[in-house]
Amino acid sequence: MAEELMRETYEIHGRDFDKAGETATGIKQVLKGIGVDSGVIHRTVVIAFEAEMNVVMYADEGTITFVMTDEDIRLEIADKGPGIEDVEMALTEGFSTATDKMREMGFGFGMGLPNIRKNADEFNLVSEVGVGTTVSAAVRLDPDG
Amino acid sequence: MADYAHGFTIDAQRCAGRLACMRACPTQAIRVKSGKARLRPELCIDCGLCLRVCPSGAIRATTRSYSDLDRFKYKVAVPSPVLFGQFPSEITPGHIAAGLRGIGFDAVWDFGVEVVLAGMAIRDYVESWKGPYPLISISCPVVVRLVQVLYPDMIGQLIPIQPPRELAGRELKRRYSEELGIDPAEIAAVYITPCQAKTISILQPAEGAASNLEGALGISDVYNDILTLIRAPGKGQEHAAPDDFVCNAETLRWCIDQGQGRVLPHHRRMTVTGLSNVIQVFDDIEKGKLRNIEYLECDACWGGCISGNLTVDNVYVTLSKIRHLLAQSPDPRPQMEAEVQRRYPNEVFSLEGRVTPRVVEEPMRGLKERVKRIKTGKTVVKTLPGLDCGLCGAPTCQAFAKDVAAGTARQGECVFFSSKRLKHLRRTYLRGEKRRPNREP
Repeated sequence: MAEELMRETYEIHGRDFDKAGETATGIKQVLKGIGVDSGVIHRTVVIAFEAEMNVVMYADEGTITFVMTDEDIRLEIADKGPGIEDVEMALTEGFSTATDKMREMGFGFGMGLPNIRKNADEFNLVSEVGVGTTVSAAVRLDPDG
Repeated sequence: MADYAHGFTIDAQRCAGRLACMRACPTQAIRVKSGKARLRPELCIDCGLCLRVCPSGAIRATTRSYSDLDRFKYKVAVPSPVLFGQFPSEITPGHIAAGLRGIGFDAVWDFGVEVVLAGMAIRDYVESWKGPYPLISISCPVVVRLVQVLYPDMIGQLIPIQPPRELAGRELKRRYSEELGIDPAEIAAVYITPCQAKTISILQPAEGAASNLEGALGISDVYNDILTLIRAPGKGQEHAAPDDFVCNAETLRWCIDQGQGRVLPHHRRMTVTGLSNVIQVFDDIEKGKLRNIEYLECDACWGGCISGNLTVDNVYVTLSKIRHLLAQSPDPRPQMEAEVQRRYPNEVFSLEGRVTPRVVEEPMRGLKERVKRIKTGKTVVKTLPGLDCGLCGAPTCQAFAKDVAAGTARQGECVFFSSKRLKHLRRTYLRGEKRRPNREP
């Protein structure tokens, strides 16, 4: 059983585009400080960033929980939002329900969830329409392990 | 840990420990212990902000002196175009070139052709790039070092094309060794630089390869000598006779007009100057913004190289003079175009080495130990007042907490935790107090 070394929870506010990305940056700073392998940092930050953007774009509020164990980094992103009607579709590259305004800001190209899945060693998505979505992802510290 | 050479030195005798450098440093590379500034060289990016703000004149740029260059048979000056905007308006680039010869150079090299060549290499690189964006110019050595130290993830986005000054160093050695029949090793290519960061990029290139230049002299180092030579010629003349040196319009434009970005008129590009602005933009890139900017040119100095810390004249005056010079400069001559066409297919423009992240933390024991350190830092920072007063000798409470966690500082060095610390500071900083042995509490 992996030993938990560190746990932190950050709040994300929906529609707050101004602060979007700050949680991912915060997580990056922590990982840099610890001196985690840069590839692992990169993958973790992509996951955190894309998940954070999803919450900002679609939900009212959410949290990112960051857990570091001696084996991996686990992220759990839970939001209270509209939920995803068709999970299979949402995981398809290029599929997006983003509005034009979101696209203007450089987001909403349907790469978010596929990108998260691609960068994670473990990935899980639970969603209920009208209630919210929870994404769990893990990145192993030892890339070969 | 590698030994880092830097473009300046702190004179401990003169340093009065007044914290200005520590507060100005963008990478938090300075701590003040027992009233003296100390540098953590692995964090220093040679921006020179400390040098500008030091109230005691204790921080000085290290450039070469003329005598360092005596061992070379043939010495060629490669002036930054910024030099030509420093002098009174009646003094032309021809006069300045004559002045450079007067102080001991055998030739003066205009790098207009190299500006065009580097521009073409950058254009080709950007056009074949598949992402991620933005790509970042490496023209400013401080920006490269900033990426190495604080934004290592963005290293792949640096454009690994040699800047014009480096291409000039290589070409002039080839040319003169051929023309004069001397060994290239006996030729010195010396950059006349607007900042000490370029000096360090020559002495210790970020990519770890060898520079094509032998050193640099600051504009402020040569300015007075050149002016004296021009102003005090033989009898009968107002000024010394100008050289036939012509400063190319391409060279002049390069230092004022968005640098190399002009070669990419149809790309989305952005120019950012001033280190605090650059840091703000890099933070945004790190947050995933600016993904649709293709080419990013950054200068650590506000307004670009024309405000480098080894310049003499005011940045606006310099800009005005260079614009005026530009209006008078001849359009590129056909020979230049032919030269560009001849050289472009035959030369390699990429950097000889690879730019890699700088290792800033000393290797530590295990993961658990490292996580513990971070957690300790987070716990310590909560106990601190958050005033960032700097009296502990660290620039912010956050930085101090990290130092405490790393064992390089003790909580008692914060005045809020120890009255001894206050006494120590009083003895260090208040003149008129009796001198007694003063140890850090």
